[in-house]
Amino acid sequence: MDFLLPMLVDGLAASALIFFIAVGLTLVFSVLRVLNVAHGSFYAVGAYVAVTIGGVVMSAGAPQWLSFPILFLSAALTAALLGPVIERTFIRFTYGKPEAVQILVTFALFLIFEDLQKLVFGVQAYYQDAAVNVLGISDIGGIIYLNYQLLLIALAAAVVVALRVMLHHTRLGKMIVAVVADPEVSATLGIDTRRVYMAAFTIGVFLAALGGALASPNSGVAPGLGAEAIVLGFAVAAIGGLGQIEGAALAAVIVGIARVLAIYYVPQLEPVAPYLVMLAVLLVRPYGLFGAATQRKI
Amino acid sequence: MLKLDDVRVSLAGHTVLRGVTFELPQGKTAVLVGRNGSGKTTTLRAIMGLVPLTGGSMSLGGTDLLAAADHQRAALGIGYAPEDRRMIPAFSVEENLLLPAVALNLSKEVKGERLSAVYDLMPELADLRKRPGGSLSGGQGKMVALARALVVATKAILLDEPFQGLAPALALNYARTLAKVRDARGDLALLITESSPQLLAGVADRALKIERGEVSETTLAALGH
Repeated sequence: MDFLLPMLVDGLAASALIFFIAVGLTLVFSVLRVLNVAHGSFYAVGAYVAVTIGGVVMSAGAPQWLSFPILFLSAALTAALLGPVIERTFIRFTYGKPEAVQILVTFALFLIFEDLQKLVFGVQAYYQDAAVNVLGISDIGGIIYLNYQLLLIALAAAVVVALRVMLHHTRLGKMIVAVVADPEVSATLGIDTRRVYMAAFTIGVFLAALGGALASPNSGVAPGLGAEAIVLGFAVAAIGGLGQIEGAALAAVIVGIARVLAIYYVPQLEPVAPYLVMLAVLLVRPYGLFGAATQRKI
Repeated sequence: MLKLDDVRVSLAGHTVLRGVTFELPQGKTAVLVGRNGSGKTTTLRAIMGLVPLTGGSMSLGGTDLLAAADHQRAALGIGYAPEDRRMIPAFSVEENLLLPAVALNLSKEVKGERLSAVYDLMPELADLRKRPGGSLSGGQGKMVALARALVVATKAILLDEPFQGLAPALALNYARTLAKVRDARGDLALLITESSPQLLAGVADRALKIERGEVSETTLAALGH
């Protein structure tokens, strides 16, 4: 039982990063009805951009605390540069098309991004851990934690709340909810659905890039990051029920804790733990924890 | 004011509208009568920009409608109530009513004015304002859809089969409300599709008959009512 608290903290910290990927994936799916395989690429690009900008700014002798806003800035930059462009040039042509077409197009996009990353950044790993160092450590019940890990948990919770507030209390959010429920009637009521699609996709890119940027100080960046992210993101989104934000949050917590439990008790199972959870959940609830066969919600 | 000239629409290779031509002046009400599949709904959908035209032109108060994208037609002042109501289930009735005002970025004052104008015409909706849009009965939903169209409309209102599926008492109630709307909103052109136009006898000025995608002028009396 001495393990309980550290296990919970480790599990939740892991959950936080998984959540950032899954929530963007699920948001994009519920608005655009597109399963975006390239979503993991935005996670990886966010991480590379964060490490690159962080490296340049830190080596110029900037104060250490600056490494922290840089993570957010990198995600915003990635989203602003890639979101609208990718949506207009690739994703929009897949709206209303069969899933096979959507997966082919977004998988192609994913492969393009994989090679572009190697072309630009090479195959070596990058580290930029100023943000972890500057926050220091905490001692809880005799066990040492990185404050950065605790912050990740708080940030993930903040994102759940921020998305709720955005969807229910802002103009864009209300338009997103309306378009999810009925794109055609939304258009007749004056909603520019094209702009809503672009905005929702860009928010999805931002969340993925933020996940990648926030993961980079702790784990570094290397090729293969995008593939790992998207597979895990899909598993979590499926467990939560595609299109369900709270579902993604709960699923991320379950998967994060399952992974850590595996590490503590059966380390060999750690890589497959998320998929065992997915298998178990989908056997009982084929549409995921919060999903429903007919009704969809955001 | 609302003018359709030789409007042609084909859907999935079938010609649905073959040269629909009519004019509806401000303050007038026309009922578009026709059997199922004659092109009533498609005519309204074409005016809202939901189906592409293969030919012809449409204008509203002199503004070319074809130059406006689907979502811009609401901004031009056309309110539309589709046959199947189509409320946003996650929103309350009032949020549904305000959705077009939010989308069109209307000022707070204008939003308030339009909402209270709608509640004045349909006081029963004020009691439903907090109810979720997904929980309404058929009759309530039709009323809310009419109200939502009124929030948008500054020039024209299109109602698709408003009496479809309503019990006789509810249909009568709806017809009374429609007459009130007609009296209160002399600035609007009203276009109503209906397969059985009896209930519109007191409201409509004109009857248009649509048959196999072609529109001809007729009278309510000629339709046997």
